[in-house]
Amino acid sequence: MIAYLLTIVLLLLIAPLLPSFIKALKMRLLFKKPASIWQGYRNFAKLMHKETIVSEEASAITRVAPFLVLSPLLVILFFLPPVVHGAYYVSFVDAFTITGLIALSTFFLMLLGLDSASAFGGMGSSREAFIAALVEPAMVLTIFSVSMMAGDLGVGQAGVNLAAHFPKEHMASFLFAAISFFILLIAENGRIPVDNPETHLELTMVHEAMILDITGIYLAIIETASSVKFVIFASLFASLFLPFGLDYSAPVAIGVFMLKLFAIAAAVALIEVNTAKLRLFKVPNLLGIAIVFAFLSLITFYVLGA
Amino acid sequence: MGVDFLIGLFLATLITALFTSRLYRLIMWYSLNSLMLGILALLIGQELGDTAMLITGVATILIKAIGIPYLLKYLSQKFHFVRQIQPEVKVHYAIILIPAILVFTFYLAEPITHMIHGNANYVAVSISSLFLSLLLMMEHKNVAPKIIGFLSMENALFLLGITATDGMPMLVELGIFFDLLMAIVVINLLFHKEEVKS
Amino acid sequence: MMPTLLVLPALIMFAVSFVKNDKAKFWLPASSFLILLPIVKLFLLPKPYALIGNYLVADRLDTYVLLVSSIVGIGVTLALLTLDKHVKVSQKAYRRFYRFFAIFWIGLTLSILSNHMGLYWIGLELATLSTVYMIKTNHTPAAHKEAWNYMIVGAIAISLVLFGIILMYASAKPILGEEAMRFDLLLAHADKIPSPFLFEMGFAIATLGMFVKMGFFPMNLWLANIERASFYPVAALFSGILESAVIIGFFRFSQIAEKVNYAHLFGFVFVYTLLTIFIVSFLIFRAKDFMRLFSLSGVEHMALIALFWVSGGTFAALLHFGAHAFLKPALFLSTGVLESNGKYRIAGALRGYHGKKGQLFWVLVSLFLLAIISLPPSPMFFSELYGFGAMIDTAKQSHHMLAMIGAVLLLLILLSVIFYRFVAVYQSMKYEGKTEEKKVYGSELAALMLFALCLIALLLPVSIDYLHTIGQG
Repeated sequence: MIAYLLTIVLLLLIAPLLPSFIKALKMRLLFKKPASIWQGYRNFAKLMHKETIVSEEASAITRVAPFLVLSPLLVILFFLPPVVHGAYYVSFVDAFTITGLIALSTFFLMLLGLDSASAFGGMGSSREAFIAALVEPAMVLTIFSVSMMAGDLGVGQAGVNLAAHFPKEHMASFLFAAISFFILLIAENGRIPVDNPETHLELTMVHEAMILDITGIYLAIIETASSVKFVIFASLFASLFLPFGLDYSAPVAIGVFMLKLFAIAAAVALIEVNTAKLRLFKVPNLLGIAIVFAFLSLITFYVLGA
Repeated sequence: MGVDFLIGLFLATLITALFTSRLYRLIMWYSLNSLMLGILALLIGQELGDTAMLITGVATILIKAIGIPYLLKYLSQKFHFVRQIQPEVKVHYAIILIPAILVFTFYLAEPITHMIHGNANYVAVSISSLFLSLLLMMEHKNVAPKIIGFLSMENALFLLGITATDGMPMLVELGIFFDLLMAIVVINLLFHKEEVKS
Repeated sequence: MMPTLLVLPALIMFAVSFVKNDKAKFWLPASSFLILLPIVKLFLLPKPYALIGNYLVADRLDTYVLLVSSIVGIGVTLALLTLDKHVKVSQKAYRRFYRFFAIFWIGLTLSILSNHMGLYWIGLELATLSTVYMIKTNHTPAAHKEAWNYMIVGAIAISLVLFGIILMYASAKPILGEEAMRFDLLLAHADKIPSPFLFEMGFAIATLGMFVKMGFFPMNLWLANIERASFYPVAALFSGILESAVIIGFFRFSQIAEKVNYAHLFGFVFVYTLLTIFIVSFLIFRAKDFMRLFSLSGVEHMALIALFWVSGGTFAALLHFGAHAFLKPALFLSTGVLESNGKYRIAGALRGYHGKKGQLFWVLVSLFLLAIISLPPSPMFFSELYGFGAMIDTAKQSHHMLAMIGAVLLLLILLSVIFYRFVAVYQSMKYEGKTEEKKVYGSELAALMLFALCLIALLLPVSIDYLHTIGQG
């Protein structure tokens, strides 16, 4: 139980660190002077002190939505597979619940974008809906396929099973699922080939457009939500597709897990440096690949058993 | 396990190539595809203790993964190929078409998997990669991607050869390599005449 | 010794193609006649005669096919002498044409004689790739496009064949080991193949590849367009030599498949060929020029041959094959004259011939035209009679008599459509249009005479007896 709670707290704490880490790594790779990796915490502290102004046009939704964006994600944190062998975990939550909770959070984010009735907000929301609609089928298929390989529909239990018994005989379908999930990780978190988190250029914005109107504590909550989302995806990837290192003693196991998260963040940074952002209407191509791989993983598992 | 992993990567590179709309990217995916094939041949050859397969594995890596992609890139620079190659089949149709092909071929090959001992699944994968290469040839109008489709078809055949039959007779393997080189010569000649004319 | 003699004419041609002297090519017809010596010797030797180990074996079937294709080779070499009189072709391109013709010929000789699936495929691929360049000899944008077209589709077809071969090899490997590539062993052990499904799937894929290569169902106009765009000897080579090599592969594979599961083989080929003939007969009806007309009719005849062969009419199929292999190149070679410098006119094509040569030419061409639609003295007439007879015989043993009679009737209707079109074309050639002066050269006439003599020789009792023995043996 302690390890369980400790992991959740640690994940929450590490959440702002990962995006800053990606940013710093990217800047270093581009031979710029890197930003501090603590920048995430500094931003959070600054926003907490700032005065909160809400647009006159906005309804009550703007005041409620940020909390509703964050809370489903916080709930998911409790359902993640364990990082230490023998730790407490929730075993019954399946792919649909997790995808649904993420979708719920995205839904309130879109509402928030629409609510202030600015042109950018609406555009960002519609783009986000467009991407989310394509992400969800692939996400369900992928987690489902991995759960089948692990022999349990519950995501937590699947992580445990995978760590206990790595699916050597299903290596091909495991690989396809991993490729698909990694694409989803990039798409859902608004990283570069899909969305650029750093620009405020109207043509490219998706996530930024929706939150353009809010400041202060609300913005801090939304920023936290998006970094928590990244942590959720990264830790799902780490426990489902890199299921090793759970057998060590608790501190070492947690350390290995953190290393995995940073490795994933580094991979994302490398991809961001090496690719250009896709045109919005090219995004379905990328997500199409994800859907194809997710499906391929499932049928390879079922038909060929490979 | 290693073989399974490589065969997954083989199929993955081919599927990604189907969605590519840039020529150099396509050549890169083809090169990776051949590389996976070469490593696969080396692994299986080592498992079976088959020297002939080890030799063909090395030849595959040298010729198909390095030589041909390099040559294609050279040719494309020399003859100014169109480098922006939009697939004719739209992506939303491809998303439906490719899984359909995969399901069809997997079920087509299902009875076979009971007959072949050992690497049974790979027959299904190679048949599906044959069909996917056909799709690659069909979905492009330009010549260069069609050539790459043809070459990946050759890869699919090679995969079938090393997995289904535990290696073809050496004579046939050499013949196939010889023909591949001849194909490249003819392709070169065809481009050459085109340039002379214009 | 024997194999060297068999490829010697092609090798001489290859060597001569590097000589810059324009007169050198006149030696080629004489040298190509040399190929008949080893073939005659092969006929006299006891069969099967191993040429190189177990790889190249001469049995009754491939000796016959080799003879037919070699005669076509000789005829084309003769007609090639005056190619430059009918079309515009530079001396350099001319020599290149000879060079790739030589490679083509070597490849297909290898294919026809091979007793080894792998070697068969290698020969076929060699021929396919060299053809691409032969098509390209014609310096027009259309020919360039079609050369690419041929390259791509031919490569697909040939890859399908290899794919099928690998599957068949895999199916028989458990009992035969590396020897599972050999046709004769496969045939001998066909009923012991441990995984018939694998074999049948390989057979279906390989046959699909071969059918595509011959221009069957999905690719009907593909071959016609290519032959239209290239010089006429290419079309003659296709119909005479390439299709012989492809069809002998089909013969050998289907012999094995027949023992594995006859009903599946018959059903597959039956449906496929009927579909092909159905589509082709209407395409022929719409054909507006000689090349397409002849090329589509070639597809129709190859489909008939395949159908007769699987129906058990071995004799009919072989006779039809021989007749078609002589008639079609003859017609293709004569289109060079008929179209008189690239004008695609059908009307009046048979008029305007003067002198003895001209007279002889148009008589021969009309005879060929009437023979290709199986008017009685033509060998095709007899082969079709025997072939339909064989189809009915096959049906007698099963419960599908009515369906078979229906199919034969449908075939007859389709054939009569083709017949009607050819008669109309013939009348238009003879009685319509303007009279234009056309010149016939001795070499072409010699080629046509050669083909005509061979056609007559095909009907001699000796050759009919020989064909009968292939069916039994």
